[in-house]
Amino acid sequence: MTTPRRPSTLRTELLRRKPVRPPTTGSGPGELRRSIGTLQLAAFGIGATVGTGIFFVLSSAVPDAGPAVVLSFVLAGVAAGLSALCYAEMASAVPVSGSTYSYAYATLGEVVAMGVAACLLLEYGVSAAAVAVGWSGYLNEALVNITGIELPQAILAAPWDSVPGVVNLPAVVLVGLCMVLLIRGASESARLNAIMVAIKLAVLAMFVVIAFTAFDADNFADFAPFGTAGVATAAGVIFFSFIGLDAVSTAGDEVRDPQRTMPRALLIALAVVITFYVLVAVSAVGTQPWQDFEGQSEAGLSQILNNVTGSAVWGTVLAVGAVVSIFSVTLVVLYGQTRILFAMGRDGMLPPLFSRVSPRTRTPVQNTVVVCVVVALLAAFVPLDHLVDLVSIGTLTAFIVVSVGVIVLRRREPDLPRGFTVPGYPVVPILSVLVCGYILLSLHWVTWLVFAAWVALFLLFYAGYGRRHSALARERA
Amino acid sequence: MTVVVGHLPRPDGHGALDLGLRFARARGEPMLVVTVVPRQWSTPSPARVDAEFGEYARRVGAEAAASAGAYLAAAGVDVPVSYRAVPGRSVASTLVEVVQEAGGTVLVVGGTADAPPGRIGVGTTAQKLLHAAPVGVALAPRDRSPDSSPGSSPGSSPRGTPDGRPDSRADSTVDGTVDRAVDSTVDGTVDRTAGFGRLTVAFSDSESSVRTVAATAELAARLGVALRVASFGVRNPTMYPPEVGLHAEDSVLDSWADQAVEAQRRLVSGGIVGAGVPRVIGTGTSWDEAVAAVDWRGDELLVVGSSDSGPLARVFLGSRASKLIRAAPVPVLVLPHPSSRS
Repeated sequence: MTTPRRPSTLRTELLRRKPVRPPTTGSGPGELRRSIGTLQLAAFGIGATVGTGIFFVLSSAVPDAGPAVVLSFVLAGVAAGLSALCYAEMASAVPVSGSTYSYAYATLGEVVAMGVAACLLLEYGVSAAAVAVGWSGYLNEALVNITGIELPQAILAAPWDSVPGVVNLPAVVLVGLCMVLLIRGASESARLNAIMVAIKLAVLAMFVVIAFTAFDADNFADFAPFGTAGVATAAGVIFFSFIGLDAVSTAGDEVRDPQRTMPRALLIALAVVITFYVLVAVSAVGTQPWQDFEGQSEAGLSQILNNVTGSAVWGTVLAVGAVVSIFSVTLVVLYGQTRILFAMGRDGMLPPLFSRVSPRTRTPVQNTVVVCVVVALLAAFVPLDHLVDLVSIGTLTAFIVVSVGVIVLRRREPDLPRGFTVPGYPVVPILSVLVCGYILLSLHWVTWLVFAAWVALFLLFYAGYGRRHSALARERA
Repeated sequence: MTVVVGHLPRPDGHGALDLGLRFARARGEPMLVVTVVPRQWSTPSPARVDAEFGEYARRVGAEAAASAGAYLAAAGVDVPVSYRAVPGRSVASTLVEVVQEAGGTVLVVGGTADAPPGRIGVGTTAQKLLHAAPVGVALAPRDRSPDSSPGSSPGSSPRGTPDGRPDSRADSTVDGTVDRAVDSTVDGTVDRTAGFGRLTVAFSDSESSVRTVAATAELAARLGVALRVASFGVRNPTMYPPEVGLHAEDSVLDSWADQAVEAQRRLVSGGIVGAGVPRVIGTGTSWDEAVAAVDWRGDELLVVGSSDSGPLARVFLGSRASKLIRAAPVPVLVLPHPSSRS
């Protein structure tokens, strides 16, 4: 590397920002240009959100909070909604393609972007693993109910699960399937997304209706056995199921009249999601004492239906709906992870193999294989609740960075044109930081430790690799 | 050493004849026009009950040869042409047999009649040939218009139907349709049957694709025409819900284009093509768009290689190549798996 005229100090290196260029949209006729309306946008948000957690998060969350888990859902939803508003402003001010990583790189500097990337690997990669584990539970439920075949426990669960196994094989198979689809360039169309949204909401609605027939208010008698601390801890677990709401904001520059559409779509998506989640939580807790949730398998909702109706029919319907829709969630989340790493590869933050496109399939094959192998290993050997905690801590941290980024950007570049501005600035971003921070603080110290170690490792990698290979460094040199 | 043309006796079946004539002229080879006619049973029937059918088959063959002869005569043919009606149950396998027997160098067939004008529709016969032929298969677009840029107005298509059927598709939106139609049967035929002006080879940065480029460069040198290397990239569809934005695939396409430029440069540094050979990249959200993103001459021939996964020494069309063919506004030559050539 040649020495630039002004010696690049460590400080300038760490804080260098990627200049904002409008995304390279082929101005072809097939391109979407400001064509997305409120309802479609809301459908993106709902489609990306519902399915990541609600199907299997209760068995982890209820033991933390008791029946007050209902409040945890509201708390997590509020945090996600506030952050999503901040996301929307950030996305409209920084017209780069993609994720928090890109926003952070353009506004807060390289080292922060790398920290965010570490969080995003948890938000996408690890959550894909968690979702795959949940899928495995519902697949097994459906399989047992329909065919009567019981797979051996050894191939159904991770070694350190509450009911230990050896390897979670169905989860590995799911990730493998998604890998093949992604390598072949398969994608989920907007229409398929809408169908998936319909399936998910339909099975959840079915659950609520049936579960309410067995509603027993006595189950709420001991409402908050662990007080507010328990509520916050459970919110941390549940937060996982609100991931994806930020998908609304990424469509920013395609949205008609973003200043009006964006908050409306966010509110609609948030309202639908919170309503469904709270109804599911209330009806589920109404069917059985909260102590019973602990140790229930990943296919918890399905089992509750079985218990309530005394027949396997409805549980099976729900399990099949979950299997179909969680499949699509896994595909989309894995896809997101590969494309975030792709962007990092193009920026020189990762080895170029992550941004190499196969001439045969025209997809980033090596990138996809690496992501899927790692995710499959996680899904195979790490139990769900450990994964969920990591996802939540990563996501919450990324959300906080975005909220802080909104404030930083307002102060540093007040005149930057923004398609959408957060209503009630500066209250909303500050509130977002506070709520997310509150939930974060309630997470278990082990989670914190693992998280800190992971981010440290990632930054170490940055110091060794990305700092020198950064495309910005090469441009400047 | 013959250019074999599969000829179907139907009013718009001239695309293959035109293209066959171009190959014959370009290569200086005779042309063999083959019509596959229904085959009679080999067992002698007691009362010659299939005599009429046999007669019908013979008549089809004769008529096909006559119509092809009339058409080629009008075009002012200057290469030796022979006609054959070959009985066979499968058109594709019969054509392959003829090619092997006659020592054909290229097999020319027409596209389907339901393709958009100026485009190639791959019918069942062509489909089979594209997955088994032992020599290169050339496909003619439907009703090519001669001078105007390919894939343009259907009104300029020559529809000089030899059986005197009126041209039902005369396009009234074009001024002077009648003049133009008359013109194009005279001038147009000459133009359309002259040799090729440029070979464009589709290149996709794989080992077999490099060999295809080499083979095409050789062919271009032999025919004495210009060569061009083109790579086509289609943007992958957007994944919904858009968790990482709606533009994620744009940057994948950008990366692909960077790599394609690099790969094309390696063709030059590897001595496969000369530095003066134009290299182009076409990208778009569909194959049509990607192909339209580069310019095409009226006398262009697009050369496409066979897929790696096919058998050696055979044409075997990959899925991408097959999409490319359907989007191509010019005739296409599909080369057999190149590893056997050398």
